[in-house]
Amino acid sequence: MSKYYKNTEELYQIYGYFLEKVLGDPKIGPKIAKSGIIIKFIYTDPDAEITIDLKNKPDKEGVYGSFYLGKCDIEPDVWSKQPADHSHRFWHGLENPIAGVTKGIIKQGGKVTAMLKLLPVIKSTFQQFPIILKEIGREDLIVTK
Amino acid sequence: MHANTGKILRINLDDNSISVFSPDEELYKKYIGGSGLAAKLFYDMADFNCPALDPQAMLIFMNGPLAGVKFSGTSRMSAAGRSPLTNIFAESSCGGHFPPQLRYAGFDGIIITGKAAKPSLIHITRGKAEIVDAGWLWGTPISTANEKIKTKFGTQSKSLVIGPAGEHLVSFACILSNAHHAFGRCGFGAIMGSKNLKAIVIDHQNFNQSYYDSAKLHTLTNEITPRIKEHIFTQVLNDFGSAGNLEGHMYTGDVPIKNWSENFNEEMAENLTGSTISERYLTRKASCAHCVVACKRIIRIEDSPFAISEGPGPEYETVAALGCMLNSSDLAAVCKAGRVCNDLGMDSISAGATIAWAMEAFEKGHLTLHETDGIALEWGDLCTVIEKVLPAIAARKGNLGMLLSHGSKKAAEHIGNNSISYTAQSKGLEAPMHDPRGGGHGHALAYAVSPRGACHVSTAMHFMETGACNYPEIGFEFDLEALTDEKKPETMVLAASIGSIENSACFCQYADRPLSFNEMLELVNLSSGYGHTLDSFIEAGLRIFHLKRLINHRYGTVRADDALTERMLEPAREGDGAGILINFESMLNKFYSLMNFDDQKGIAKEETLRKLDLL
Repeated sequence: MSKYYKNTEELYQIYGYFLEKVLGDPKIGPKIAKSGIIIKFIYTDPDAEITIDLKNKPDKEGVYGSFYLGKCDIEPDVWSKQPADHSHRFWHGLENPIAGVTKGIIKQGGKVTAMLKLLPVIKSTFQQFPIILKEIGREDLIVTK
Repeated sequence: MHANTGKILRINLDDNSISVFSPDEELYKKYIGGSGLAAKLFYDMADFNCPALDPQAMLIFMNGPLAGVKFSGTSRMSAAGRSPLTNIFAESSCGGHFPPQLRYAGFDGIIITGKAAKPSLIHITRGKAEIVDAGWLWGTPISTANEKIKTKFGTQSKSLVIGPAGEHLVSFACILSNAHHAFGRCGFGAIMGSKNLKAIVIDHQNFNQSYYDSAKLHTLTNEITPRIKEHIFTQVLNDFGSAGNLEGHMYTGDVPIKNWSENFNEEMAENLTGSTISERYLTRKASCAHCVVACKRIIRIEDSPFAISEGPGPEYETVAALGCMLNSSDLAAVCKAGRVCNDLGMDSISAGATIAWAMEAFEKGHLTLHETDGIALEWGDLCTVIEKVLPAIAARKGNLGMLLSHGSKKAAEHIGNNSISYTAQSKGLEAPMHDPRGGGHGHALAYAVSPRGACHVSTAMHFMETGACNYPEIGFEFDLEALTDEKKPETMVLAASIGSIENSACFCQYADRPLSFNEMLELVNLSSGYGHTLDSFIEAGLRIFHLKRLINHRYGTVRADDALTERMLEPAREGDGAGILINFESMLNKFYSLMNFDDQKGIAKEETLRKLDLL
């Protein structure tokens, strides 16, 4: 039973808003796009899938990548599977991804080394995650140490 | 006896005597092998009044029980003896292909004393050894010596060779195996040089080992190998080498820049990270014996002032020490500097850290043009480093070469001006390229209490703190927060034991990451028949750690030596650790208490030593 998400729709609402912001950010967006990969995040409890395309030309103006909520046919270069709650804490900067992989909480496949360039860059988004939760009125989901 | 042969070569170069010595079988179990067994033999047999570079100084090479097993990351060995850099007991670990060949030739290790009358090499064939003239090799760079050895002894021969730096007794001279794999740290190359010993060469041997339970060992290694192949560490190491995550380390503040005065440089991160090395210069990958990780790089650089022929590429430590520490983002120059360092036979960590200290000293006016023989030591000027500084150190030539050839601590003591405050070392050993202020505060404790000086591989703290270990079977299943002292002393107790086990069983700390602790134990037991339980295995690790501290106490180390320099403890300016103070003394106090150390002596109290059979 998820501690943070009632259902898949709620997860999509939060991550959708977050990704809009991050991929449209003129400072962070280009750095994230530089990785040039397609990555699929698979979540459990609630079950969900989000695909981020940083390889192809974005489908909208003013953004640096595209994302798709729910199942999609785009073949990812790399995938990462983890409990939604773990991901929620990760985006707060409260989970060590190396420890997550070591303990088997995070499973990965595909060209995982392609994610290496992404990891340092997305650290700067950790500060934004609680801010966007606040913006959409979900302060109740902000996690503190 | 299984896996081990029970035979150690004893060679006295004074009179060319060669004999075979068989330690008590019980010692193998109690000290596992590798650096543990070497420490025990050194403790029992060495003359503690003997200076590091005295002819009678003892130099030990020792395999772990797993050397030769057809499995990733286990064909390693340790060198041990008194370090000319630190003047205390030291060890250095090396992979490659020499350890299994020594085992197949019928020996677990080699103990060398004495000094040959003229440049010599030790030639080992199955069951025997001989001392032969090496005048034809003396003075040659390591790559040339390696080629000459292959011509004379066959392309399949395996060698341990020193370069000009070892011959000239540079305190941080290294030994390279087949011109690629290094006994990098603590100056073992100088010990060989002091004995007029240019090389140890072993003929190619066929596999011929017996194990305690070959069938189960085979099943276990077959079961684990696919997991190692698929592990994210392996994929990163295989694709990009050990510098694969330099960029990631940089963003946490783990990479020391400009002699530990900075912690972040985006351009440097991108230019020097392992993926850039692979994209620009990689020609092929290489590995140690039987290893699927294949983290070694073979590179070639063309069309550059820093062009180099196809050969070994730099490891993470070399990239950071000769690049980041010297404030250079020029990858070709860094690769060239690494190659030159290798060829001259010097530890790139100590060389880089010592030159970085000298650059800062020059900037501050603590080193003048008189002391540098007219060489301006400017940040980022790798051209000067490659063409003038490294060769001067290796030859111990001029004021600068002589000064820096002793390492940063002794050089700082020599020039004064409190320049010791901006060295980055503990017990005289330059710290590796992981900055505790960003990488994790536990590293600081590990650097301080590590028996050989500032070191991130003699204990397992580095990997435990970064989240790469999970050993619920021995109570380590919690996450550590990098930038606090929380649970670090408690973790350090376990890390001391695990690190000692890894360096004694001679596991590679990259390849063994996907293994559970139970699997490490099983591998050792199934090959050697030691019959360790989890408890006795952990106890053996602690015994080895305490023994090394005990040896160093005989050399005069006390608690005050478990220290870091001002530079290493001042708050970082950038990265995750910016502005945060490391609670160092508190961690050290707690660790002393948990280890039952005497507060002054820095060694375990009598009851602990008795319990571990060290008294």
